[in-house]
Amino acid sequence: MSANQSNNAPCVGIIANPVSARDIRRIIANASNLQTSERVNIVLRVLTTLAATGVGRVLMMPDKGGISSMLLRSVKRERNIHFDFPELEFVDMPVTSTVDDTFHAARSMQKAGVSAIVVLGGDGTHRAVVRELIHGTRDGAPAVPIAGLSTGTNNAFPEMREPTVAALAVGLYSTGKLSASKALAPNKVLEITIDGGRRRDIAIVDTVITSDRFIGARALWKTDSLGAAYLTFADPQVIGLSAIGGLLQPVGRTEKGGLAVYLSDDPARCRLRLRAPIAPGMVCDLGIASWEAMPAGKAFPVALAAGAVALDGERELTFDVGEQVCVTLREDAFLTVDVASCMHAAAREGLFRHLSSNN
Amino acid sequence: MADKNSFPLSREALLKCYRTMRTIREFEERLHIDFSRGDIPGFVHLYAGEEATAAAIMSHLGDGDRIASTHRGHGHCIAKGVDVVSMMKEIYGRKGGSCNGKGGSMHIADLSKGMMGANGILGAGAPLACGAALAAKFRGKGEVAISFVGDGGSNQGTFLESLNLAAVWNLPVIFVVENNGYAEATSRDYGTAVDSFVDRAAGFGLPGVTVDGTDFFGVYEATGEIVKRAREGGGPSLLECKMVRFYGHFEGDAQTYRAPGELDDIRANHDCLKIFSAQVTSAGVITAAELSAIDREVLDLIETAVKQAKAAPMPTLADLTTDVYINY
Repeated sequence: MSANQSNNAPCVGIIANPVSARDIRRIIANASNLQTSERVNIVLRVLTTLAATGVGRVLMMPDKGGISSMLLRSVKRERNIHFDFPELEFVDMPVTSTVDDTFHAARSMQKAGVSAIVVLGGDGTHRAVVRELIHGTRDGAPAVPIAGLSTGTNNAFPEMREPTVAALAVGLYSTGKLSASKALAPNKVLEITIDGGRRRDIAIVDTVITSDRFIGARALWKTDSLGAAYLTFADPQVIGLSAIGGLLQPVGRTEKGGLAVYLSDDPARCRLRLRAPIAPGMVCDLGIASWEAMPAGKAFPVALAAGAVALDGERELTFDVGEQVCVTLREDAFLTVDVASCMHAAAREGLFRHLSSNN
Repeated sequence: MADKNSFPLSREALLKCYRTMRTIREFEERLHIDFSRGDIPGFVHLYAGEEATAAAIMSHLGDGDRIASTHRGHGHCIAKGVDVVSMMKEIYGRKGGSCNGKGGSMHIADLSKGMMGANGILGAGAPLACGAALAAKFRGKGEVAISFVGDGGSNQGTFLESLNLAAVWNLPVIFVVENNGYAEATSRDYGTAVDSFVDRAAGFGLPGVTVDGTDFFGVYEATGEIVKRAREGGGPSLLECKMVRFYGHFEGDAQTYRAPGELDDIRANHDCLKIFSAQVTSAGVITAAELSAIDREVLDLIETAVKQAKAAPMPTLADLTTDVYINY
């Protein structure tokens, strides 16, 4: 039973990645750097907003990257002044300062019955949370919904939005003022299997195949090594590798199916050249061989014999000759708090109206 | 066997970098033994566990590029090309050492290799690197300077002043923060108010990047972009390498501040040499036999260095007053 359905006080989880937006794209593309203190400010705004909607408890991922320690100092200071905060508790877990922390925290929060998890990070952080939530869900039960706040680099998945508004939407859902059917939206994922499923992973926006056979600095910015891009959605208004599909054949976030794009600089295969913003401030020309729709459930075998798989913008897995990589789109894979729907419903239903004391 | 080498370095360059890392490792492992026997005067701070960072960064530099090292400088020296035998003699305090045996571990320098010196004073390398970068800027040949500093040393005023100076003068200098998690025995979380070193750079208007310092290719790629930017006039930047050290802050450190099992985990799962070896052999670019051959040659080199160091004469009383001032 989820916390919002129980009689207990609603509890919301917060996972704030202290190391998102720290990679090489700061150097090569002047990508933004959201400082730790600003991430703490975002969490503080989420906390005060959740309190205003009636959320009494928040469970937070601990870290050694500065967010937890600075947050505790700030909460103490703010409580001295005037702000009302929910009860703040950190997940009891070892901190490794790796992505394992995100996995562990997401797992613990799901087990603790939080109603939703607010995620501060980029596409990579959101992928890690979703991967763990899907993995930890049994018997087809829906995973805990997430609400994304963009603090990463490319951010195709989390929308740019003031955290206060996102927290209001989470609060409305968590306190039961809005039902799941009104507050939540389904999302697609890409399932990646290597060597017949011996290794598995997921992506929530893009899976890109590169001929580089190493992880290196993780980010992808050299276009000559790109072989194919598989996309859950392709929005012409986002940046990152999914922009390639977005500018070829847009696919909506909630639309059925995805898109596969095959890249090649070989004049014999290259059908057109496309100029796309593959990273913040970085507009590159790419050779496009072809593209096709990706219906849900159909496995797309990767043509490249050896290389690396980039998941949501970062090289994550390498594969050698003889290890076949397959990519499959799945629909209705996980839920997000649909902030726009929530706020429109709240306005329509007058959820923020209070009776005047004169009435 | 894979059809081609898809790493960003040639096979020869990969083998050279492995040799550099293995040389640092064996050099430090040998010092760990010899120091505990009382063979070595002074203090030594070992770089074992951190080799990938030094090897990857220095593989982008030439002799005209200068580096300012730290108290934990052996790895920087070896990767920058300082002669291993003369380093060993220096640490043993013998004539023929890099500084004729009068400096020891924390003063090894070789200007012909662009190695401006290890440094016993925390944070002292940053302004020196700014000076070298200013000179490089005036020379206009595209040379760069790199300052290494630990996570603890980065709290020194000299380091912060240098970030400012580098930014306002747009110097071709790179600040490498070697973050091994401990300032001597003090955890980074306890001793540093702003925990992200990238944030610290941003405070002075410099771009910064965090990489896994135990992953050679991660450091290599990031450094390549950072050095290219500096050579082309793009100015200073900061590179934080998250790394692990196999030994204490200094030799003899009981390391009571470590968590139970921490060192075992580091050696088993975060050994940069093991990680590199697995990457290049599984891709079929280098064979295990080729790496083993290098291992044997390196062990012979270290043995030779120790023998020659022990056989070398001590400095004499008359040497005390030589090399004090330089003649221009």
